[in-house]
Amino acid sequence: MAHERLWWRVAWRNLWRNRLRTLITASGLAFGYLGAVLVVGVSDGMMVELIENGTRLMLGEVQVHSEDYLPERNMHHTIGGYEGTDLEIFLNRIISQEEVSAAAPRVYGGGLLSSGEETQAALLMGVDPDREPRVTTLLSRLVSGRTLVAGANEILVGDEMAEQLGAVLGDEIVVVAPSSDGSLGNDLFTLVGILDTGIPAIDQNYALLALPDLQFLMAMGPPRIHEVVITVGNAKDSPRIAGALREFLSDSELPVQVSSWTDLRPELAEMVGLMDASHFIIVIVIFGMAAFGVANTMLIGTFERRREFAVMRALGTAPIGIGRTVVYEGIVLGVISLIAGALITWPILVWWHNSPIDLTTVISGFSVAGAQWRPVLRVEYSVQAPIVAALGLFLTSILAAMYPAWKATRVPPADALAD
Amino acid sequence: MKTAVRTTSLWKIYPQEPDPVEAVRGISTEIETGDFVAMAGPSGSGKTTVLNMIGGLTRPSRGQIWIGDREITEMSDKDLAQLRLERIGFVFQSYNLLPVLTALENAEFTLLLSGIPKDERRKKVLELFNKIGLSGLEDRKPGKLSGGQQQRVAVARAVVANPALILADEPTANLDSKASEDLLDVMERLNQDHGTTFLFSTHDPRVMERSRRLITLVDGQIESDERRNHLSVSP
Repeated sequence: MAHERLWWRVAWRNLWRNRLRTLITASGLAFGYLGAVLVVGVSDGMMVELIENGTRLMLGEVQVHSEDYLPERNMHHTIGGYEGTDLEIFLNRIISQEEVSAAAPRVYGGGLLSSGEETQAALLMGVDPDREPRVTTLLSRLVSGRTLVAGANEILVGDEMAEQLGAVLGDEIVVVAPSSDGSLGNDLFTLVGILDTGIPAIDQNYALLALPDLQFLMAMGPPRIHEVVITVGNAKDSPRIAGALREFLSDSELPVQVSSWTDLRPELAEMVGLMDASHFIIVIVIFGMAAFGVANTMLIGTFERRREFAVMRALGTAPIGIGRTVVYEGIVLGVISLIAGALITWPILVWWHNSPIDLTTVISGFSVAGAQWRPVLRVEYSVQAPIVAALGLFLTSILAAMYPAWKATRVPPADALAD
Repeated sequence: MKTAVRTTSLWKIYPQEPDPVEAVRGISTEIETGDFVAMAGPSGSGKTTVLNMIGGLTRPSRGQIWIGDREITEMSDKDLAQLRLERIGFVFQSYNLLPVLTALENAEFTLLLSGIPKDERRKKVLELFNKIGLSGLEDRKPGKLSGGQQQRVAVARAVVANPALILADEPTANLDSKASEDLLDVMERLNQDHGTTFLFSTHDPRVMERSRRLITLVDGQIESDERRNHLSVSP
């Protein structure tokens, strides 16, 4: 034990023999830590942005349908079949679940919109104007006009749809849609708002009506809905919450299907999974590069101390003892670097998290896997990334010391003393 | 008299192109316990190589070495390190103190490796420092000591664990006359008081004069081996 303390003491003091070199090496590792945590944080920020934009805009995080609604989206397959269900009771059951934040009903249909001489095919979406804003941001994407009032025969369309129809606010739009009774429903609706979601597929094709208005147009009673959209506290927990809800609703007489956004948008889920996995690669690459720098510095230090190692050997130190001092130097260097790294990293991380860098003046947004990405560099932090980066830093400093330590144990004492 | 060191037909050949260098050529000798022996000879005569082989710092190409009753040529590096720790002390020409340790820490290095408790270590080192005139310099790093002081610390480090054998390679080469005499006094006193065997490599006449036995090497072989009868410690 006594000589363990000696090796630590020798390691500590050796590090400070060449302060500048130690500070440069520790800075390299500390900035490596900063880089790893920030790159993972930015990547996490992009991931959260993608999930949020992919789910919050329209999809929601969990959806409930009649068990045979997906994937055909047959208009007759409403929750509870032709009879439907008591909507208030059903929604309240869902909201009673601990991790469910809000839920909103929807009805879908297909139809034609006509304004003046122009006609366009459209996906009709009936939403509850009061509940929908609690689960998605769709209605907040109005660029002109206002949101819907139920029972007033009002309609919202995307900006590209409005352009194709040549319609402006206040225009009357004829909506023709197949009804559930086999007839063709048609009615006049007033354009009260224009949306711009940034997603062409939505802005070109969707028309939003108030839930009871679309139900009436499609000859569906108030209890009949196609979908309940749910939002939860953390989008990443959606699969688990969907599973719990599925279990919970399986008791009811309604045969329903509960899907999380990862089921509904597997391409987005795969992308998120890929970004998650890339974090480890980022950490490995950053610290891999740092390892060579540290190993090089320690190797030079070891070479400079050949004579001292030889003296220690001559005095009765076993080769393993020589190796230990070098490895302990690596560990001490790792601790110093980690402290420095944490001191540099955390303020930057917290500041960046609270003040995302807005690049909208430099680049425009784009959509990835159907989710819009805003050109805002935000940083998200978790407990995992700093711990993984800290482990990476430690492993780097220890592994980088291994080869110099091995070399130190191989110093031939007589030759080194003669140098 | 017991034998402290014995070598038989000791050779050291360095493989080198075009011709291997024969640094030591068949040296056989015995050194008695408690002796004070100088090994002299011109540069390149093989003094340091013999010392290094006896100390287990380099392995002979041929021949055998006994330290006390232990044959060391086939020992592992770890066992050699343990043997040096228990039985051999080294004093080098250029002091070779560890620069990151203080004088006291350097001197107690071998005691620490042997697991001697702190209080006992400190007591031994301070007593020794007192004897060899290093009191008050305990906390100084080697860079803050004179050459003579550094060499005395090196001697303290070599003798503090009471090894049976001290191997001193040109210990006075970097010292002035006064410091050399002082150092030799210290070593003679330790030899007399503790019965420690000293083997020097040197070409310093002062060391040769003080030795009780003078082995002269030329071209890796023993040219002469004479016993001297005087021993004089400066007052």
